[in-house]
Amino acid sequence: METIARLLRLIPAAILIGATLAAPGGVRAAPPEARLRLATTTSTENSGLLGVLLPPFEKKAGCRVDVISVGTGKALKLGEAGDVDVVLVHARELEDRFVAGGYGVNRRDVMYNAFVVLGPGEDPAKVASSPDVSEAFRRIAGQESPFVSRGDRSGTHLKEQEVWRSAKIVPKGGWYVESGLGMGEAITMASEKRGYTLSDRATAVAWRGKSRLAVLFQGGPGLRNPYGVIAVNPQRHPAVRHELALRLIDFLTGPEGQAIIAGFKADGEQLFFTSPRRNH
Amino acid sequence: MTALYALEGIRKSRGPVFSLAIPALELMEGGIHALSGANGSGKSTLLSLLAFLDRPTEGRLRFAGETVSWNTRSLARLRRQVTLLHQSPWLFRGSVFENVAWGLALRGVNGGTRRTRVFEALEAVGLSGFEKRDAQSLSGGEAQRTAMARAIALEPRVLLLDEPYSGVDRAAVETAESLIASMPARGTTVLLTTHDTAQLARPGGNIIRLAEGKVVSAKGAPSCAVV
Amino acid sequence: MDFLTDSVRAALVLILALDPDIASAALTSLQVAACSILLAAIPAIPVGLAVGLLDFPGRRAAVLALNSLMAVPTVLVGLLVYMVISRRGPLGGLDLLFTPSAIVLGGILLAGPIVATLVMNAAEGADRRIIPTAMTLGAGPLRAGLKFAAEIRLGIVAALVAGFGRVLSEVGVAMMLGGNIRGYTRTMTTAIALETGKGEFGTGVGLGLILMTIALLVNILFNLVLQRSRP
Repeated sequence: METIARLLRLIPAAILIGATLAAPGGVRAAPPEARLRLATTTSTENSGLLGVLLPPFEKKAGCRVDVISVGTGKALKLGEAGDVDVVLVHARELEDRFVAGGYGVNRRDVMYNAFVVLGPGEDPAKVASSPDVSEAFRRIAGQESPFVSRGDRSGTHLKEQEVWRSAKIVPKGGWYVESGLGMGEAITMASEKRGYTLSDRATAVAWRGKSRLAVLFQGGPGLRNPYGVIAVNPQRHPAVRHELALRLIDFLTGPEGQAIIAGFKADGEQLFFTSPRRNH
Repeated sequence: MTALYALEGIRKSRGPVFSLAIPALELMEGGIHALSGANGSGKSTLLSLLAFLDRPTEGRLRFAGETVSWNTRSLARLRRQVTLLHQSPWLFRGSVFENVAWGLALRGVNGGTRRTRVFEALEAVGLSGFEKRDAQSLSGGEAQRTAMARAIALEPRVLLLDEPYSGVDRAAVETAESLIASMPARGTTVLLTTHDTAQLARPGGNIIRLAEGKVVSAKGAPSCAVV
Repeated sequence: MDFLTDSVRAALVLILALDPDIASAALTSLQVAACSILLAAIPAIPVGLAVGLLDFPGRRAAVLALNSLMAVPTVLVGLLVYMVISRRGPLGGLDLLFTPSAIVLGGILLAGPIVATLVMNAAEGADRRIIPTAMTLGAGPLRAGLKFAAEIRLGIVAALVAGFGRVLSEVGVAMMLGGNIRGYTRTMTTAIALETGKGEFGTGVGLGLILMTIALLVNILFNLVLQRSRP
């Protein structure tokens, strides 16, 4: 009896130590296979695109791609710090600054989709009937309908600010909500507030049926959403896996990657486009 | 003959108040010494000093001719010769056996000898057969006796007992008395405290009376003396 | 209403199907929490005992520091560790960022103050006679300290369980330092954040239920063991 009690006392310690030693996913400072770190936006990861796009590359290159999905602004910051090897983002202006600043090299266009304006079905600001996106934003501001901004320097947030500038409006007031949330959370918030928000199409499609928002405005040159891939400059950060990064860029922009992107569908709908043509 | 304990100008203060002030006191080796005085007279404070668990604020203490230097190393060595039994002793978690054996294990007494000495000590306090009992499940009297066994098993040079007869029933007092009376024959000097004057006559040794932290009288010389 | 029941139904399906991604996230969570608590315990238990038992100059400041450290937001811990292990930071060369080790590093900083503080409280609340008793039986400071730790082991185990729970349940450090990499640094909490962000509330609730079950099992296990060693 006493021995049994003694053994029982050792169980938690055994579990702790066992869990520590059991290998997979544990403390591995130096994993056996090469790992390429890709910082990207939530839209590419959450839509499921990377889930089909990366495995063929991993097989060919014999490496693992660690996807760190954050906003575009943060992805570029990780690249500046040399904490990732390659970035896949969507904010052309920031990308150009990233390259000009000497942080990135070998920028390539990968694909594009579009931004859409989401809002409640009853559409109090009459966004659906506006001729262009600037006018749509002006109507929202005029009605002071709730508008949920990402407010996180993501690609979508930067695009939204660009639209407000083109509409010559400085959004301010109780109706304009700077959320600091990811795209999905921002859609949830807009849905709860019966308000509007700007979203990339991929996320909007993924959220169809999960919120009470509908796509009210889309199309037009103002809402193009191009994605670019950039390798982190190895001259600035010698530790980055530059060769693998270049191979990934070649793969994404080459025929195999482009075919996968064009063939990727969610909910029966193509989410990303490869050739530089207009969406609608 | 050097005294076992020699106190010179010992003062112990708690905050601004001196709780003990003994200009000079000697205690000879052997026999049973009693320390009497009312509650708060400084008995427990003095025992802590003599057990090397607490250090005096001022003064010099010599043990068997050696001036106590109060550094960690020499204290650890001195403590192995002196064992204090608290008035309400603490028993460690585990069995009665584990409690009594612990101090022996510290001294590197090996398994067989350790076992024999634990059993002898338990027998001496009338707790034979209690080895496997959980120490925390004992009655007050049994706990007291286990602690006594734990102390005598070490066969210390000096055994300090704080109120060994308080809260113990008549029959147990007699057992304890005869056990204590047998200690000097085993080479252990006993110093016990009591506030019960009726008890004083019975140990039949030397009596030191304390009041308000000062020695009022010491009789039964030559083994004990206020110099 | 439907929304809630649908979520719970999706959760149950997820659990029963034993999805490999979820198994991997659960395992990573457990391993990271276990490593963190084991490594945090090495300095935290002695520190807690020392602050709880000894009287030294600056003790009050140490108590205050430990109490304040417990309240540091996990995201701040994540940020500080990020600044240290980023390639631009002093330990950038170790290539720790976005690995499970990075989360463990953050976990140690999260769990350490909790373990130290709770051990300190246990030491302060323990019986004053333990140390003198051990010493008069012949123990030096080290052996007396070890005996003391053994006497208050229930409190120490409770402190470890609390620290373990903190690491298991936090999301800020795991997200910032681990990067939520699928099959590698994705933990239960970062997976919940991800699924919520994708609007997959059912999956989020399912993961939450699994995490709660794991935490519950760990607690039940420790409680069973504690009851056995209790008098």
